[in-house]
Amino acid sequence: MNVDLILEALRKTFPAETIEVRAMPVNETFVTLPPACIRPAAQVLVEQLNLRHLSAITGQDTGSEIELLYHFWDGRGLTLRASLPREEPHIATLTDLIPGAAFYEREVCEMLGVTFEGHPDPRALLLPDDWDGEAPLRQQPSPTPAAPRHPLPLPTLGEGGG
Amino acid sequence: MTRMTIPIGPQHPALKEPLSFLLTVEGERIVESVLRMGYVHRGIERICQNRNYVQNVHVVERVCGICSHIHTTTYCQGVEALLGLEVPPRALCLRTLLCELERIHSHLLWMGVLAELIGFTTIFMYAWRDREIVLDIMEELSGGRVAHAVNVIGGVRIDLDAEMSHSILVRLDELERQIETLLGVIQHERTFRARTRGVGHLSAEQVRRYCVVGPTARASGVDVDLRRDAPYAAYDQLDFRVITAEEGDVWARTMVRLLETIESLHLCRQLLAELPQGALTVRAPRRVPPGEVVSRGEAPRGELVYYIRSDGSDKPARVKIRTPTLTTLITLPDQLRDVNTADVPAVLAGVDLCIACADR
Amino acid sequence: MTDWLSALFALLVFPGFGFLFVCALAFQWIDRKVAARLQGRIGPPWFQPLADFIKLMAKEDLLPTGAHEWACAALPMVSLATVLTAALYIPVGGWVTSAFEGDLIVVLFLLSIPALAYFLAGWLSVSVYSVVGGSRSLLQYFAYEVPFLMALSGPAILSGSWSIARIAAQQSETVWMALVQPLGFLLAIVGLIGKLKRSPFDIPKAKSEIVAGPLTEFSGRKLALWHLTLHMQTVVGIFLLVNLFLGGPGIGLAVPAALIFGVKVLLILLALSVASVLYARLRIDQLASLGWRVLAPLALAQMLTIIWIGVG
Repeated sequence: MNVDLILEALRKTFPAETIEVRAMPVNETFVTLPPACIRPAAQVLVEQLNLRHLSAITGQDTGSEIELLYHFWDGRGLTLRASLPREEPHIATLTDLIPGAAFYEREVCEMLGVTFEGHPDPRALLLPDDWDGEAPLRQQPSPTPAAPRHPLPLPTLGEGGG
Repeated sequence: MTRMTIPIGPQHPALKEPLSFLLTVEGERIVESVLRMGYVHRGIERICQNRNYVQNVHVVERVCGICSHIHTTTYCQGVEALLGLEVPPRALCLRTLLCELERIHSHLLWMGVLAELIGFTTIFMYAWRDREIVLDIMEELSGGRVAHAVNVIGGVRIDLDAEMSHSILVRLDELERQIETLLGVIQHERTFRARTRGVGHLSAEQVRRYCVVGPTARASGVDVDLRRDAPYAAYDQLDFRVITAEEGDVWARTMVRLLETIESLHLCRQLLAELPQGALTVRAPRRVPPGEVVSRGEAPRGELVYYIRSDGSDKPARVKIRTPTLTTLITLPDQLRDVNTADVPAVLAGVDLCIACADR
Repeated sequence: MTDWLSALFALLVFPGFGFLFVCALAFQWIDRKVAARLQGRIGPPWFQPLADFIKLMAKEDLLPTGAHEWACAALPMVSLATVLTAALYIPVGGWVTSAFEGDLIVVLFLLSIPALAYFLAGWLSVSVYSVVGGSRSLLQYFAYEVPFLMALSGPAILSGSWSIARIAAQQSETVWMALVQPLGFLLAIVGLIGKLKRSPFDIPKAKSEIVAGPLTEFSGRKLALWHLTLHMQTVVGIFLLVNLFLGGPGIGLAVPAALIFGVKVLLILLALSVASVLYARLRIDQLASLGWRVLAPLALAQMLTIIWIGVG
C-alpha cells in the first residue's frame, strides 16, 4: 500500500476539507474525515485504488461524540475516522461497495445506536430478541434506543409433517 | 415441489456451538437460508472496559477456547505498542512457538470435526488422537491444554530447557508421520472426495467482496497471510511457505489446512533450534499513556484485529475485537444456495466456524 | 402336548426370541469392539449392549404433539414380529425349525417389512428431521433392495430349490455358492449393509444432518424395540447369507456343525464391521446412483450368468 498515493487521491476528492493524518501503531495511518466524506472516500479506495479489504468497523462513545473507525488493510493499515453527534447519529452505508461490511455495521448499529442509511438488513446481530435496554457500548444512559428488533420466526410444530 | 423449513440449530449435532440457520428446502435442495447468531454473546468488549489491562489478558483469552493464545498475543502486542515496550527476543520466540502449536491443534480439531460431520468417524478418531500429542506438549509447557495463560504484558511467563526442547522435537516428528498418513488417506479416499469436491464453492471475487480471511480465503486463491505480510512476534526471522489452492471448495480448504499444519511443524522446529537466550519479560507499568493502536495477528482461522484506545488510566477506554469467523459467517447464505441438504454439514464444517469467537 | 411344548420352546427360546436376543446383543458387542479397535479406541465392555437396552426400556417415552400415538407404538412391535417370524425359516447351525418350498421368498418379503415400518415411523412422527429421514430411507430402499434380491436369487436358481434349508444342505454335497458366484456374494453383502443401514449407507439416520432420521422423536421403550429390531435384523441377515452362500454348517470335516456355522457367521460380521469404518458416508443421490448404475446391472449380469450355466 502506498500511503502517499492514497492521501493524494483523498485530497483530490475532497479539496475543500482539511484532512488530518496521523501515524499510529502498529503500521497504521489514521485519516480523519467528516462523516459525509466516508462513503465517497471508500468509493475512491475501492474503485480507484483497488483497496477492498475492510478489516473491521469500530464504534466508540468518547463521551463527547460517537466515533466510527473504518479499518482497511493492504499490507499496511489505513483507518478512516469520522465523528458523529451523540443524538441520532447516522451515516451512509458501505455495504453496496463492500458487502463484507454488512455484519460490522449491524454490530455498531445495535451496540451504539448508529443508523446506517441504506443498509439492506439492519437487524440486530448479537443482542437477544428481548433486549430493551440501551445500546450497550454507550457510556452513560442516552436517549437513543437500541437497534430495531426483527426476531426470526421459528417453525411451528406440524409444519414439517404434512 | 413443496417447501419445507429445516432448522439447523441452535442445538444440532452438526454444530459444536449454538448458531441458528433456518433453511428453506425444496426436496433436497436449499432455496434460501437465514442466519441468526449471538447465542454465546458475552459482552466481552464491554467487560474489558471495566477491568484493568492485566485482568483483560485473562478476559480476552476466554473469547475462544481453540485460539485463546492468539487473542492474548494480539492484545498484549497492542498494549505493549501503547507502552512503547520492547519485548525480549526469547519471549517473542516462545510466543510464536505457542502460536504455531495452537495452529496445529486447531487444524487437527477441525479435521476431526469435518470428518465426523460427513460420517467418516475413523478420521475423526485418528485426527483427535494425534491432536493429543500437541495438547500434551502445551500442557507441559504451560499447565493448560486449551487456556494456556502464557502471555503477560511485556513477555511470557513460561520457559523451557534443552531437555524439554528435545522431547518436543521427538514428539513433533511422530506427529508429522501421523499427519502424513492422514494426508495420504484424505487425498486418495474416494468417498471423502465425493463428499467434499465441488461443495461450498467460493470464488476469489466473492472472497474479496466479503473480505474473507484465513485458510478459507487462501483456498480460493487469495494469497494473504499476516505472518508473511506484516510479521509480528518472531515471524520476521522465520522461513515458511504460505499454502494456497485454486478450487475454492471444501476439498481445497482441507488440503490448505493440512499442508499448513505441516508448515507449522517446520516452524516449531525452527523456533526450537534457534531459541535465543535472554530475559522472559520486561517490566510493564500499570497505567498506559493515552493513545490508540490497531494490532493484528494471524489466528488459525485468519486475520484477528484488535483496536485498543487508552485514556491514561489503568483501564482501557475501548477494546474492539474483530475475529476471523465473522468474515466467513457472512458468506454462508451464498455458499448454501442451491446446495444439497446432505452437504450442509460439510459446508458448515468447511469454513471452520468458531462461534464463540464471532459472538464474543 | 409335546408338540405344543416344542413349538413354544422354538418360538421363545431356541432358535426364537431368547436365542436371537442373546445373539443380537453379542453381535452388537463384537461389531462395536472391532470398529473401536480399528479406530484406535478400546471399545465397550461385553455387557454394554445389554445395559443400553435396559436403560432405554426404563426411560421416559414421549412423542411430539401431532404424532400418531397408537401407530408409533405399534410399528416397532410389528417390525420385531416380522423379523422374529422370518428367523423361524432360517436354519441355525443345521437345526431346521420349519421349512417348505418357497420359504426363501416368504423370508425376503418379511425382511422388507421393517424398512416400510421405518419409513412410516418417520412420516407419522411428524418432526421435520423424521420426515426427511423417512423419505431418504425409502430412496435408499429402492437403491439396494433390487440388487439384493437378485443376488439372493442366484443360489436358489442354481440349486433348483427355493427352500433355504435345502439350498444350505445341497452346498455340503457340491460346493459353496460363494465360490461359484462370488459377485453375487459380494452384492449380497453390500445389499445387507444397505438394508441394515450401516455405514457407509447410514444415510437415513445421518446424525450430523437430520439428528436421527425417522427415529428422532422416539424414546424409551419404543426406541429400545427399534434398536432391538435392527440388531436382530443383523443376526437374521447374516444367518441367511451364511446359509445361502457359505453352505450352512457344512465343511466336510468331522467338526460340530454349530462351531462351523459360528465361524462363518463371525467372518461375515467381521466383514461388515471393517466396511463400516473404512468409508465416509455417501449422499443419498450418490447411493441411488451407485445402486442403479453399478449394483443393479452387476446383479443382473450375475443372474443371467447363473441362468445360462444352470440351463446349459
